[in-house]
Amino acid sequence: MNFQRQVSHALHEEHRTNLDLLGRIEQAFARAPRSGASRDPDLVRLAASFARHLEQDVERHFDFEEKELFTRLADAGEGDIAGLLAEEHSAIRAVAEEVLPLAREAAAGTLDDAGWSALKVGALEMVERQVSHIQKETMALLPMLDDLLDDETDRELSFAYAAGHSRG
Amino acid sequence: MKLAGAFLSGATSRLLPASIPLRFFGAAIASHLLAWLALLAGSEALPRFAGGLGWTLAALHLVTLGVLAMTAIGASLQLLPVATRQAVGSVRWPALIWWLYTPGVAAVAVGMGAAQPVVLASGAAAVVVALLVFVALLAKNLVGAKGMPVVVAHGWIALASLLAVLLTALSLAFAYVGAPIIDRGTGLALHVVLATYGFMGMLALGLSYILVPMFALSGAPNERRALASCALAALALALAGAAAFGISPRPLRVIAVLAAAAAVAMHLQLMSVALKTGMRRELGRSFRLVRIAWALLPLSLAAALAVALDFPFEGMQTLFGLVLIVGWLLTFLLGILQRILPFLASMHKPPGKAPPRTPSSLTDDRPLAVHFWCHLAALALLALAIIADSAAIAAIASVIGAAGASALAVFFMILLQRMRRPHSTIRVRNDRVA
Repeated sequence: MNFQRQVSHALHEEHRTNLDLLGRIEQAFARAPRSGASRDPDLVRLAASFARHLEQDVERHFDFEEKELFTRLADAGEGDIAGLLAEEHSAIRAVAEEVLPLAREAAAGTLDDAGWSALKVGALEMVERQVSHIQKETMALLPMLDDLLDDETDRELSFAYAAGHSRG
Repeated sequence: MKLAGAFLSGATSRLLPASIPLRFFGAAIASHLLAWLALLAGSEALPRFAGGLGWTLAALHLVTLGVLAMTAIGASLQLLPVATRQAVGSVRWPALIWWLYTPGVAAVAVGMGAAQPVVLASGAAAVVVALLVFVALLAKNLVGAKGMPVVVAHGWIALASLLAVLLTALSLAFAYVGAPIIDRGTGLALHVVLATYGFMGMLALGLSYILVPMFALSGAPNERRALASCALAALALALAGAAAFGISPRPLRVIAVLAAAAAVAMHLQLMSVALKTGMRRELGRSFRLVRIAWALLPLSLAAALAVALDFPFEGMQTLFGLVLIVGWLLTFLLGILQRILPFLASMHKPPGKAPPRTPSSLTDDRPLAVHFWCHLAALALLALAIIADSAAIAAIASVIGAAGASALAVFFMILLQRMRRPHSTIRVRNDRVA
């Protein structure tokens, strides 16, 4: 997509980074053995990245969109799209809440086989929900920011987002 | 069914209620099954079909009007407002289109199949009015479009083609009562080219610039190359149109095919880049159908060239029609339909306080697998029926096609059922849906 705003670019770049991680998780977890996954150092490392993604990226990214963008969308008469995306955030947060303790245990190498099975199911649901959500945001939200934000607001918001990023 | 957010917010919304696109897609899926059954009834005439009332013609129009245009209307009503950042306006207009168009298509098919010109004429009138309303909605959207110049350019050419198709359709319909507006041969040549490559083809190519990067999560295709492809396609349509009026028909048709081939080559190269550079490369069975359709698009141009050069094979025109309509357009749209149905359905909230569904939880992959193999087998057998001039093979192909269409209908009914069921009872995962 050809976005005009810095905020759109920043979010798009973060989407790409997330998609890269989610793609690796999907591939690796789908192929993970039924027993002894904790002994695979690559899987353990990936679980640690996944836990970091759930702890830090998801909440910061969603908070920014909900506070700064969805409100503007709703004010511009696009409450339907803002509502849909916010509902998807809630669903992703709920899955993240279920999966995060398992991902932490997996990262520590202490997750048993039953736990790994549950982590795989949750992680694959997380991947699908996030991919589908990013597809919608890329299609509907990011192009609309070209209309919603003026140059100054765009600069302010992209600065605020970058600052939040460096704190995160 | 409750809708996520405030979907029914009316004129300012860019998202339609689920019932609007789903009724078009449902009608397309029903028409698909009826088309194969009509083809079974008309299988005797199929291998050397060259027009004329009967069930073969009815089957053809159940595919073109009932499946292809029905799907294109449903998809463009939902996708274009989002892509062009325009409000959809009142949902009454899309609903009116459906209520006029669907019975109109049924009447056209029955009128053609049973050779009842009055039924055919009344159905055609309803179809023409419905498509004129669609033209008005599409034009309003394209006039106010922001961004997506490639999609908009394709949309304008599709729209102009549709207007010409409606005019030639009226002329052909009047020809049955002895009062054609233009010469029947000219009208037929224009009708075939502008309905398939013009209206449906340009919409398919244009909407691909939205859908393929969206599902593959790739960057936008190179705008300049996409516009060049669009311009070459427009040139090809104009040349084919001029040839239909008897202006140097053979040389112009050959040049038209070459221009179309260049347009298609550029388009397919852009699609290939999108798929190769996208972050979702495994797009499942639905995109296998899309890829097969892409392979058959240039093959349809080769068949068109053979027709233009009077290739010495009696069934050449029928074979060309098969590759173009069933091979390229139908295969492509069925692939896309399988992909966007769960995606759009997942945007609508299930009953109660359950979270939005995932596309995979709404998808039953088994009927889609049956449909995939039946569709390809039916297509191959139809080609064999034409080459061998065999009505029996055409009948077998129709039965297999009908079996595949039934499987697709089962997939759709399961999807509707799962949309209505509480989420907790269907926490299932099927084939990955990217």
